[in-house]
Amino acid sequence: MSSAKSRWADNAEEEVQRKREKEEKKRAKLEKQRQAEEEEVRRKKAEEEAAARKDEQNREDSDRPTKRRRLSHDGEDSRTKEKAEQPRKLLRFAAPAWGPCRHVDNFERLNHIEEGSYGWVSRARETATAEVVALKKLKMDNLNDGFPVTALREIQTLKESSHTHIVDLREVVVGDTLDDVFIVMEFVEHDLKTLQDSMSEPFLPSETKTLMAQLTSAVAFLHSHWILHRDLKTSNILMNNQGEIKLADFGMARYTGDPPPPNLTQLVVTLWYRAPELLLGAKTYGFEIDLWSVGCIFGELLQKEPILQGKNEVDQISKILTLMGIPTDTTWPGFRRLPNARSLRLPPNPPPHATKPNIRRTFALLTNAGVDLLLSLLSLNPDGRPSAAEVLDHPYFKEDPKPKAKEMFPTFPSKAGQEKQRRRDTPSAPKRGEGGKVEFGAVDLSGLFGAEREEGGAGFQLRMG
Amino acid sequence: MAPEVRPPSHLSNPLATLEQLSTSGSQLDGISADLETSILFAGATLTQAAGILLHLPQDIIASAIVTYSRFWVGAEGGSLREYGAKDISAASIYLTAKLSAFPKSPRSVLNVYSFLAAVPSTFTDLDKFSELDYEESCYLSEGAYQSRRNLLTKMETIILRVLGFQTHVALPYALCINYLQALDVFKGPSGKALASKAFEYLNASLLNPQLLYLTHQPPALATSAIYLAAREIGVKLPEEEWWEVFDTDREELGFLVVAMLSMEGFVGEEKGKWEGGSVPLTVEGVEKEIERRNGVNGHDTL
Repeated sequence: MSSAKSRWADNAEEEVQRKREKEEKKRAKLEKQRQAEEEEVRRKKAEEEAAARKDEQNREDSDRPTKRRRLSHDGEDSRTKEKAEQPRKLLRFAAPAWGPCRHVDNFERLNHIEEGSYGWVSRARETATAEVVALKKLKMDNLNDGFPVTALREIQTLKESSHTHIVDLREVVVGDTLDDVFIVMEFVEHDLKTLQDSMSEPFLPSETKTLMAQLTSAVAFLHSHWILHRDLKTSNILMNNQGEIKLADFGMARYTGDPPPPNLTQLVVTLWYRAPELLLGAKTYGFEIDLWSVGCIFGELLQKEPILQGKNEVDQISKILTLMGIPTDTTWPGFRRLPNARSLRLPPNPPPHATKPNIRRTFALLTNAGVDLLLSLLSLNPDGRPSAAEVLDHPYFKEDPKPKAKEMFPTFPSKAGQEKQRRRDTPSAPKRGEGGKVEFGAVDLSGLFGAEREEGGAGFQLRMG
Repeated sequence: MAPEVRPPSHLSNPLATLEQLSTSGSQLDGISADLETSILFAGATLTQAAGILLHLPQDIIASAIVTYSRFWVGAEGGSLREYGAKDISAASIYLTAKLSAFPKSPRSVLNVYSFLAAVPSTFTDLDKFSELDYEESCYLSEGAYQSRRNLLTKMETIILRVLGFQTHVALPYALCINYLQALDVFKGPSGKALASKAFEYLNASLLNPQLLYLTHQPPALATSAIYLAAREIGVKLPEEEWWEVFDTDREELGFLVVAMLSMEGFVGEEKGKWEGGSVPLTVEGVEKEIERRNGVNGHDTL
């Protein structure tokens, strides 16, 4: 110890001497500072008085006194010293590192959960930590183009989405061959679709509100990070036993921009949740398509079953128009210019009752605020839909019944956690390369709006293809 | 220091750790540090050239170079005795473009790389490019195309595995413009010249052997480029420590300024070292170069 000290002080005496000097200096410094402070107070006072006097004299010259006051603020040295002792705070970002993927052997598979369109999901346990996770094997098709771009986007977007209500991507692990790639996610007990199917009654209004708020906050997060989910549906919304939902399955997700990239595929979103502009073949689209899906999910939570269960694209659009009414040039300017709208022979002047939505009648128990929210989310015109952030501000979330605290949610037996396989009875999002274009077959839709047509007299028909 | 925050992703990058910077797969395989530096630099330059020929925007090319550079660092990074710099460069560009709004087909990428392989030496001037027979050197037979495409996609997967699927790259270009606006010099008479000079520094830094994009965050890179550009163009910036507004301290600024200025000398040295020859960008080429060096030195340390 002492030998280390002696590098700086040759003997103890000298060190004591030095210490004393240091302390004296310190004391002197403090004294000086105190005097400076007193001086400063005195000066400030005098200046303020002077400033006040001057202000009275000349109001136009109001910037001068402040300037002068700043200049003669203080003994300059004590000010700079103060600055040096307290460095300005600079923003420092936590920089994640990178390293090679671990092997999937670090996990042991427990049971199979489900097979989605983008991969096989199983429940697994990390051997080292005994932690239970969800392990999803990515499907590797179309290998002529190398690593599937959908899988890459899923990993990329999930990695950047750290949010309470978005499923947490832990890491990507690999198997022995180059095609074996798995993503490791937090294990969540339920998905909303399976959960709802097993319930005898729909969620309570207060519960629905909580779920909607959580879902919308996740969507708002994605959109503020320029991510489109493009496959929002109840089977992609997981829920744990703490009353929290976690948005999952980013197999369709991608980054977008302002303006959105021009060559976005229209083959997105599971049919029942697909926005009308997509069905009509819009070449560009934005965040609004996700909000349409949110609207469909809202309706589904209220009714305990999907609200628009079309059998094909044509059936889907006719179901949408039956619920929401026929668009007109005022409610949706420009919709006639969409590629598939031309074959959808709508009357130039449809009878007024055919253009009105049927939401009030369909959701009889919903409050006015709830109806208003649902109407706006399911607005045929994408510009009429609110942003996710606007949804969160909607009066629906503020009126009674208040959203139920997530701690108060009931718990349910987990199907995924048991040795049970889930049945998938929702259709899947379209796959890449599944035909480039939505083909409208010749479908007879004369029955649709038939009664109104007779009443109103202004005939129209949906003729596709 | 201020607590670290989870950043908005466009402001921050994953950075190489000290451990990763202290060694590399190539060095552990017995490749000398100076040969490694030459190859990595030539490969980064190749990536830039390929990106230009593919008509890719500079931000995508820059991301590809960062991905390419990340691949080689650290004990667990790729080794030049196992993977050719040219192949990793091609796969980096292919992968980055695929995730962007400007995807390129394997065929386009492979055509461009076979054209660039026909360039007689690593440091050929750009104006000599027009003298090359484009059609002749780009032609790939169907068989050659198939096997190279397989190699391209295999390398793509290997990059993803080595990087643990870390494909996120944040770039300083937009920040740079933003900072120039904040400093109120972008609209001035020499604003344009200032911005393009700063961009030149940012572009050159992509190729910097000190791997600046792997060790410093975009705000610091943008700030340092502006500092240098302003000095060179003669634009007056505030007297105060303006760089702190952009979260860069004096020490980091000083380091980056020196590193950025060293680029010219480094490129000159490289040119001299290789004297119109080609830096080996394939595994076979690297082995040959190692043999040659051993022959010259007369013993087998590498």
